[in-house]
Amino acid sequence: MWAQYSYGILVIMVAAVIAFYALARERDDLHKLLLLDLVEIVALGIIAMLGTDLAEALILPGLTVGIAELLALSQIYCTKEGIRNRPVMGLNIEVITKSDAPLILSIFLVAYGMVLSGFTGGGVAGLGLVFLFISRTYRNDLNLLEMASGISWAIWIFAFFVFMFLPQYWFVALMGAAIGILLKVTVKMSLVGTMWGKQHD
Amino acid sequence: MIDLVGGVPLYILEFGDELVYLTPYTITLFLLALTFTVLALISQPEKQIDIAFGGDAYRAKEISVDEMRFRRFMAIACGLATMGAMVTGDIFNFTLFTAMVGITNVGIVAAVKSPHVQDAAYQYGLVALAATVPLFAGAAVYAAVTGSLSMIELMKGTVPAVPLIAKGMLMLGVIGEGMAPFYAAKAEMFRAPGAPYVIMCSLSSLLIFLRVVEIIMLG
Repeated sequence: MWAQYSYGILVIMVAAVIAFYALARERDDLHKLLLLDLVEIVALGIIAMLGTDLAEALILPGLTVGIAELLALSQIYCTKEGIRNRPVMGLNIEVITKSDAPLILSIFLVAYGMVLSGFTGGGVAGLGLVFLFISRTYRNDLNLLEMASGISWAIWIFAFFVFMFLPQYWFVALMGAAIGILLKVTVKMSLVGTMWGKQHD
Repeated sequence: MIDLVGGVPLYILEFGDELVYLTPYTITLFLLALTFTVLALISQPEKQIDIAFGGDAYRAKEISVDEMRFRRFMAIACGLATMGAMVTGDIFNFTLFTAMVGITNVGIVAAVKSPHVQDAAYQYGLVALAATVPLFAGAAVYAAVTGSLSMIELMKGTVPAVPLIAKGMLMLGVIGEGMAPFYAAKAEMFRAPGAPYVIMCSLSSLLIFLRVVEIIMLG
C-alpha cells in the first residue's frame, strides 16, 4: 500500500521537475502562464496523494485559489499587452446549430447530473447547459442566473451551519448541501456558456 | 503540555474541524493587521509628485477615482486575508490565506496604468503562482505525517514530529508568495502611486512571515 503512494509521489516529482524545467527555459510571457497552470496541477496531485477524504476537501480550495490567481494574471496580461474586444466565435457547425441533437444531449446530461447530485452532478449538468448555450445563441438577462447561483450558494452554506450547530438534522443538511452545490456548479458553468455565446455573431 | 512558542493560547474557538486560537503573539499581529486595514479604509490616497532634479519643475500624477476605488478594495481584501492568516489554527487555511495575500498584493498595484508596474506585477504574479506548489505540498506533507492539520494538536506534541522537508516547503512557498525578507524583490511594484494601499503589500508580507515562523517552530 505504501509503495503505491511512493510511486505516485515519484511520478508527481518527475512531472514537477519537467514542468519547472520547461518554465525556466520558456521566454514568452503567455506560455509561462500556461505552463504554470500545469505546475499548479502538480501541486493538486501532491495533495491528492494523501488519499483520504481530507485530500478531496483540500483539493477544492486549492483549485479555486489556483484558478483565481490564473484569472487575475490573465487579466493583467490582457491589460499589459493592450488586448481588448477580441471576438469569440461560437460553434459554427451546421449540425449542431440547426438540429435538435444538442437539446437532447443537454437534457440527458442535466438529468444524469440530477441523479448524481452534489459537486460531480453539478459538473455534469453544467456541462450539458454549457453545450446547449454554446450551440444556441442565447441572449437573455444574466442577472437571474447570477441570482440563482447566489441563492444556491447560500443554501449550501446554510446546510453547513446545520451540520455544525444542529447535527441531529444531518439528513436535511446533507440534502440541502447536495442540492445547493448542484445548482451552484450548474449555474456557474452555464454562465460560462452564455458568456462564451454572447459574442457569437 | 502546550509548548510556549507564541505564548499560551488564551482562547480556542472550535468551529467544526476549523479552529481559531489566540495567543498574545497572534493577538498582537491580528491587531496590527486590523489597524492598518482600518487605516486603508478611511485614509485619503496620496498624490504622487515627481520633481525634476536640479530645478523647480514638478508635476503631479493624475489618478482616476475608479482606479483608487479598486485599489482600496484590494487593500481591504488583503487586510482581511492577513487577519485570517494571523488567527487561523489550521495549516491548510493558513496556506490558502497566504496564497490570497499573494493575489491581492498583485491586485493592489495591477490597476495602475504604468507599463513598468504592470510588467513587474505580472512577473511577480508568475512567481507567486509557482510558489503555491511548495506551499500546498508542504501542508499536504504536514497532514500526511501527523494526520492532522490542527496547530493545537501540533502544540500538544502527541503527533509524530514534522519532517524538515515539510517545514522547508512551507517556508519556500511563503517566501515565493513574496513575503519578507524577500519582498525587496517586489520593489519595482512599489513604484505605483497611492501611499496607504501600497503599504498594505509590505505590511501583509511582514505579518505573514512572522506567523509562518511561529508555525514552523510548532511541530
